[in-house]
Amino acid sequence: MRRAVASVLTLFVLILFSVFNSSYCQNNSNGNARGNSVGQPAKPGNLPLSLPLKEGSVRFGIIGDTGTGSSKQQQVADLMVQYRAVFPFDFVLMMGDNLYGSETPADYRKKFQDVYQRLLDNKVKFYATLGNHDQPNERFYENFNMNGKEYYRFTKGNVAFYSLNSNYMDKAQLKWLEDELAKDTSEWKICFFHHPPYSSGGKHGSDTALRKVVEPLFVKYGVNVVLAGHEHFYERIKPQKGIYYFISGAGGKLREGNVKDNSLLTDKSFDSDMSFMLAEVVKNQLYFQVISRTGDTVDSGILVNQRKKP
Amino acid sequence: MLGMLLFPVLLPAAATAQEKVVEQIAKAAEPQLSPAEKQTIKRFEARVKQYVKLRDRVKGKVPKLSQNSTAEQIAAFEKASVEALRVARAGAKPGDLFTPDVAKLIRTTMKSEFKPSEKKEIRKVVLDKESNIPVHLKINYPYPDPKEFVEMPPALLLKLPQLPKQVKYRYVGRNLMLVDTDNNLIIDYMLDALP
Repeated sequence: MRRAVASVLTLFVLILFSVFNSSYCQNNSNGNARGNSVGQPAKPGNLPLSLPLKEGSVRFGIIGDTGTGSSKQQQVADLMVQYRAVFPFDFVLMMGDNLYGSETPADYRKKFQDVYQRLLDNKVKFYATLGNHDQPNERFYENFNMNGKEYYRFTKGNVAFYSLNSNYMDKAQLKWLEDELAKDTSEWKICFFHHPPYSSGGKHGSDTALRKVVEPLFVKYGVNVVLAGHEHFYERIKPQKGIYYFISGAGGKLREGNVKDNSLLTDKSFDSDMSFMLAEVVKNQLYFQVISRTGDTVDSGILVNQRKKP
Repeated sequence: MLGMLLFPVLLPAAATAQEKVVEQIAKAAEPQLSPAEKQTIKRFEARVKQYVKLRDRVKGKVPKLSQNSTAEQIAAFEKASVEALRVARAGAKPGDLFTPDVAKLIRTTMKSEFKPSEKKEIRKVVLDKESNIPVHLKINYPYPDPKEFVEMPPALLLKLPQLPKQVKYRYVGRNLMLVDTDNNLIIDYMLDALP
């Protein structure tokens, strides 16, 4: 009798778990999408779109670790311009390492402004966060829209975005974050910063020291999505404590083959070429598409708002 | 019926509305200090405040930096503020802020306030550098432009004496610096400050 009850309970838990998990994210496939890192950049005209383009939606791009000024960074940027013609996004989130090496005015031009000039000309706003390669005074740069702040918040439609400085997560920043999250009634709360709390990267891996202080806040105050960079690849992490995590750190640099095989964290990854993300928030759903430098869609899916299920 | 039995087990316990997570974390992280040690910290904080006062006086005499500046304006501000501070702090030397008593206290705190696993985690973060550009620690000179900043472990920031926003701790290898937030000027440093 006891065994029967235990079996029924086990079965019930398993059913509950699979229903809970599957309602979070519908996506195309799991695992590591390998490609060809020496492939040619995408040709204009053939732009498959996995995003719904609903009226009134919040549409944005996500890039990370871009600031090299390299030809491949430019190719990614050019592809973003092409995609903007079919998916008019209004702003771009930058995951940090916005400029590598020296940061003279010429570097700002070469590693950022010239690369994204066509987007800037079309009034696309870039919202940056500071990476470990960024001088703190980037926060004053007009095109990064940080308004002189190391950490800040802004809203677009029903989404609140929090840009954090993961280089220096001190008590003052944590207190600010908690105060802001506590009073935030936005439908979506998205935090972005440089160091990933969860990562399958061989070079850096999960920033557990950072995770210990920020994750309790994310869980308590209902953060939906966390975006990060630092690792030079793309990874969609399996939901952790109900929160969706992404790494988009291959906008200007690539660490090929750096995602550990068989990582229990990975839902999907791509580490054989550079990439960027596009996202669209429509009410309680967030659609995303990850596009490689050569124009392949390497991941896409729909996230359901954890706090507002249909 | 079975679901109702399981539901409380599966749901995490909800925090009360009054509990602030950061307060709890900060309180748990507070080092245990003797009255004499607290005085040492107070004197250190006073010296840092003195630096901030000086730096604000100097800042008033250099071109202002707006929240939406061009790259040229940022570069001009950094150059001017570093040069002005170097003049204002002529004669500054290592140990002016990290005096021997506070340096000793910081080293002791780092040794005794962290479990071995936490020390390992801190070392992993602090020593995770990506470039080999050397950094010569020199008072009144900026942290080199192309060199990346190592992340400061949050657990360490909660234990160290709190700083005003104009000044930050930074690691270079095992050595700890005080750096001006606006221009990366190395204000002071202490050696071998890693748990």
